[in-house]
Amino acid sequence: MAKHNIPEVKADLENTTGIWGMAIDQDLCTGCQACVAACAMENNIAFVGETDAGYGRSLHWLRIEHAFEGEFPEVQTSGFQPVLCQQCGNAPCEPVCPVFASVHSQAQDLNLQVYNRCVGTRYCANNCPYVARVFNMRDYDRPEPLSNQLNPDVTVRRRGIMEKCTFCIQRIHKVEDQAKSEGREVLDGEMQPACAQACPADAIIFGRLDDPESRVSKLAKTGRGSQLFEDLGTLPRVTYLKEEKDYGRLG
Amino acid sequence: MTKLLEYLKKPGVQILLLIGFLTVISAGVWGFYQTQTSPEQPILFPHNIHVNFQIPCLYCHPGALRQASAGLPTEQKCWACHGQLKKYYQPPVPVEQWPPELQKLANYVKNSQPINWVPVYQVPDFVHFNHRPHIAASLNCETCHGDMSKKTVATVEETVNMGWCLKCHRAKTENNLQNNPNNDPAITTQLSEKRTKLLDCGTCHY
Amino acid sequence: MTEQLSRRDFLKLVGTGAASAAVLTGCGPASRYVTREPYTKMPEYTYNGQSTYYATTCRECAAGCGLVVRTMQGRAIKVEGNKYHPVNLGKTCARGQATLHSLYNPDRIQEPSSHVRGDRDFSTTDWDTATGIVAEALKNPAETAFLLGLAPDHLFDLVSDLCKAIGAPAPLRYGALSLFEARTTLGEASRIVFGKPDLLFFDLGNADVTFSFGANFLETWISPVAYTRGFAQMRRGTNRRGYLVQFEARMSQTAMKADEWAAILPGTEELVAAALGKLVAEQKFGSAPALFEAVDVAQAADAAGLPLETLERYATILAQAQNPLVIPGGAALGQSNGLEIAQVILSLNALLGNLGKPGGVYHSPASPLTNSYRRPASIKEISALIEKLNSGKIKTLIVHGVNPVFELPTSLGFEAALAKVPTVISLASFPDETAILADYVFPDHTGLESWGYQQVSAGTGQTLLSGAQPVVAPYYNTKSTTDVLLAAAAVAGGKAAAALPFKDEIEFIQGKLAGLVGAEGGFFNAADMPSFWAEFQQFGGWWKNDPSLGTPSAASALEKKLTPAAAQPEGDGEFHLLVFPSPILAEAGANKPWLQETPDPTTTVMWNSWLEMNPVTAEELGLTDDDVVRVSSAFGEVEVSVYKVPAIRPEVVAIPFGQGHTAYGRYAENRGANPGKLLGAQINAAGDLAFAGVKVKIEKTGKKRPLSRLEGRTRLEAAENKG
Repeated sequence: MAKHNIPEVKADLENTTGIWGMAIDQDLCTGCQACVAACAMENNIAFVGETDAGYGRSLHWLRIEHAFEGEFPEVQTSGFQPVLCQQCGNAPCEPVCPVFASVHSQAQDLNLQVYNRCVGTRYCANNCPYVARVFNMRDYDRPEPLSNQLNPDVTVRRRGIMEKCTFCIQRIHKVEDQAKSEGREVLDGEMQPACAQACPADAIIFGRLDDPESRVSKLAKTGRGSQLFEDLGTLPRVTYLKEEKDYGRLG
Repeated sequence: MTKLLEYLKKPGVQILLLIGFLTVISAGVWGFYQTQTSPEQPILFPHNIHVNFQIPCLYCHPGALRQASAGLPTEQKCWACHGQLKKYYQPPVPVEQWPPELQKLANYVKNSQPINWVPVYQVPDFVHFNHRPHIAASLNCETCHGDMSKKTVATVEETVNMGWCLKCHRAKTENNLQNNPNNDPAITTQLSEKRTKLLDCGTCHY
Repeated sequence: MTEQLSRRDFLKLVGTGAASAAVLTGCGPASRYVTREPYTKMPEYTYNGQSTYYATTCRECAAGCGLVVRTMQGRAIKVEGNKYHPVNLGKTCARGQATLHSLYNPDRIQEPSSHVRGDRDFSTTDWDTATGIVAEALKNPAETAFLLGLAPDHLFDLVSDLCKAIGAPAPLRYGALSLFEARTTLGEASRIVFGKPDLLFFDLGNADVTFSFGANFLETWISPVAYTRGFAQMRRGTNRRGYLVQFEARMSQTAMKADEWAAILPGTEELVAAALGKLVAEQKFGSAPALFEAVDVAQAADAAGLPLETLERYATILAQAQNPLVIPGGAALGQSNGLEIAQVILSLNALLGNLGKPGGVYHSPASPLTNSYRRPASIKEISALIEKLNSGKIKTLIVHGVNPVFELPTSLGFEAALAKVPTVISLASFPDETAILADYVFPDHTGLESWGYQQVSAGTGQTLLSGAQPVVAPYYNTKSTTDVLLAAAAVAGGKAAAALPFKDEIEFIQGKLAGLVGAEGGFFNAADMPSFWAEFQQFGGWWKNDPSLGTPSAASALEKKLTPAAAQPEGDGEFHLLVFPSPILAEAGANKPWLQETPDPTTTVMWNSWLEMNPVTAEELGLTDDDVVRVSSAFGEVEVSVYKVPAIRPEVVAIPFGQGHTAYGRYAENRGANPGKLLGAQINAAGDLAFAGVKVKIEKTGKKRPLSRLEGRTRLEAAENKG
């Protein structure tokens, strides 16, 4: 494994599984952007317009990457890869925040962005190897009556605030609260973030990593799984299942 | 920068700065005070009368039992009782002779106009408060809202800020004699898990 | 002051003061201006502060997916899929998600209005006047024409009934997607080969080898969510992972997901399919049937630009497959010989023996309300309408659910014909190009505000009638077109009133549904109309539990003699032009800001259109990314920025359809280019436009217009971060 000039993984973190996790099957992902739109609608993400989007200021919490390789006619694609906050167990964004806006949730094992603490230093985004964080460069206009559509469960962010994927924590709370009021545990598959819920190919699977029987735990352990920049020691909670190209794969 | 320092040494400037500083502070204090006072309401709703009629809080604010927001009653609900009160209907008394606040209600209902209540207990947008777990943790309404049987219009009883929330969250999850009288290790673990959850930023801020 | 304190320092000082004031007061007083507005009368099932979910049908395209919309305090908050609905089983696409931006679009037409054609200032009228104007049109049935959207919904049924009763010409359904999917050609080929016109059901999910000729079924083709589900099922595979080979000149999003991309030259689909047929037949049965006999395999491979070995390898894969499937897509059928291409491909399926078998081709189930497949209008029929408009035979044109000025190729001259119609009534919700050129705009509710049902023509094996109900009260002073027509028919009297004796829209819909009450085998069974109606709304439609697919029979299809040939392209340019519907915007998404900001799946371009060009070609022409070029055909020209991409044949260029609006609200206007201006008028034997058979010239303009791309950001910033 390549050596990197980064902090050592804390020993006590290395063996943690995390609580919530996601598996993304790149063999099934068709790059259709349904997750991107669903995420924007659920999380009150502002649109920035053509010019700001061109400067890379668009506020996508989730983007789908791909690349072409080779020259015609030997062109291959790298496959579609939805990239979102990896909710690292050992997150590089957290130690650099001077105001503790980017903190680790002990209860949910997620990377939080506490909007009311954020002062917009953007250190966290600069330290994120996944470019998963986006910054509100302006107060983006949302002409009336578009604001009717805002989700009351999610804070509307203003200028100068860093934001990123939350694993739809508002839905986690809702599902947990529902389960608790009914005196039971959260069922596998009951909690679905907006992206997984919309995905027409069912390529995004969400669930509990600390439950070895959950669908996501089982998928993450198949031989096809890998994580983004695994060797950085960030302990991502998102596992990518690699694309299969060979004809006749069994099962 | 040296120019600035020299400039700052002038007494006039210092006084100006002091005035500016005081203005900022007092604006801040005023703003905070505003959140902790009771606003004017469209109708001076007498909570005491209703509570003393033995109407449970949850009859009009049923949301507290099952969801984030306690909810405000619809005019339909108000009128369900007020449209048939013995006092005004047997024999019928013209609306003009009703008490002024009830006349207001009658007009709202007649015109099918919504009553725009001003929220009393309020948290900023970036705080997501949920009534249900608080009621489920066997807190009473009056723990936070005060004794409504002694109040007309609702008032702010507590200093609603994060310190106040956390004070209670800490107290309820501390491993002490009150929460864990027999020092049961199972309860200790439970309390510690609860504490993690109740002190987590992500529990209220997202 | 300027002497002692620099402006910069002063600003610093002021800035600090303002910042601390903001910090100290920011959390405070604004909240005191907030009021809470409870319901006066709360709708049933609603709790204050708790979401209510309503099932309805997505109206963003004609596929008819079931939605469940989360509403809160009378506002629609989030669109989710209806998990019981047979088309999408709880899933949605990006366009479905953004349907809230139709409902709450800031540029909606808010009230009935009239205006001077071409003028953007509308003057308000009232609904009684509007009804009177429509009633006048109904009094002269022979001189009134209806042009409706692609979806076969309750309005289409109502207008069909009405036109039949009063003797007006039958309404035409059209949408740009029916053009780009060549639906008429597919239906006609099905009639010729299988004896029954139909938008066939291709059982992608159970196929182990799928060859797709330009069918972009992961993007917009017929029922993209249903076929994406099928694709995922195919990839998961019960026995082995399904294999997909995509034949098209440009690597579309669907081709990117294919295991192999066969970049054949546009117009050679018939040759390639016939050659595959011949090779497969020889491998499987020893000899080729009459249909494929005449083709010269080596010549076909040469014409298509494929190595012969590759073609033979494909044939072997197809011949050895257990459940092979070949799909004819829009880009393949939009050729001068599109009907022959469709026939060869359908016959190839017959040769492979997959008709009516798992992983094969089926007849779609008929709608529970009608027995026959009612296809949208072909370009030939639209041209006939345009001719009638030009000749002055039509005095009133009523347009609903479609924006023909934008969605029809400019070369057909619809805009000029519109000028010759004395009265044009648009029922659009948005000030689109057609509404701007109409005399009256009587806005219908948007999809999430209206009642209705939709007959689903393809995408599921189950008999299905998708139901729609309003999830929120109408936001503006709009009125359901069905109600307008019912009122107008009552005013017009006579046959019109007799044909539509309904009190309102709901009574009309219930009248149509009456036959389903008590029907066996449904997802729910209801004995009477009130309970049927309640469950129809609750579940978002009515469908049968078991599939009712038909088995096509192709008795003599393979015995016909055929001399396959390449298509005849139109125009004398040096590049083949491929116009494809934008996977994100499709025909009507351009006015939704979040769809504009959603990156295109292949190029990640946002908010604009582009010209896809192979880097080799670009180098020959001395062009690079973001250079603006003038693309011209015999019919028109557009200016568009170049996007270099290796995944396209060097002799082909491609432009997405969906941008280039001159009206249609602030997010769509004056953005990108409309490739509809380049399309020709060549019509294939089924009456569809040969849109993929146009050749264009490309000229440098010397201008540069940078495209906003998501990929630039990530590449640049990641590189900077790594230092």
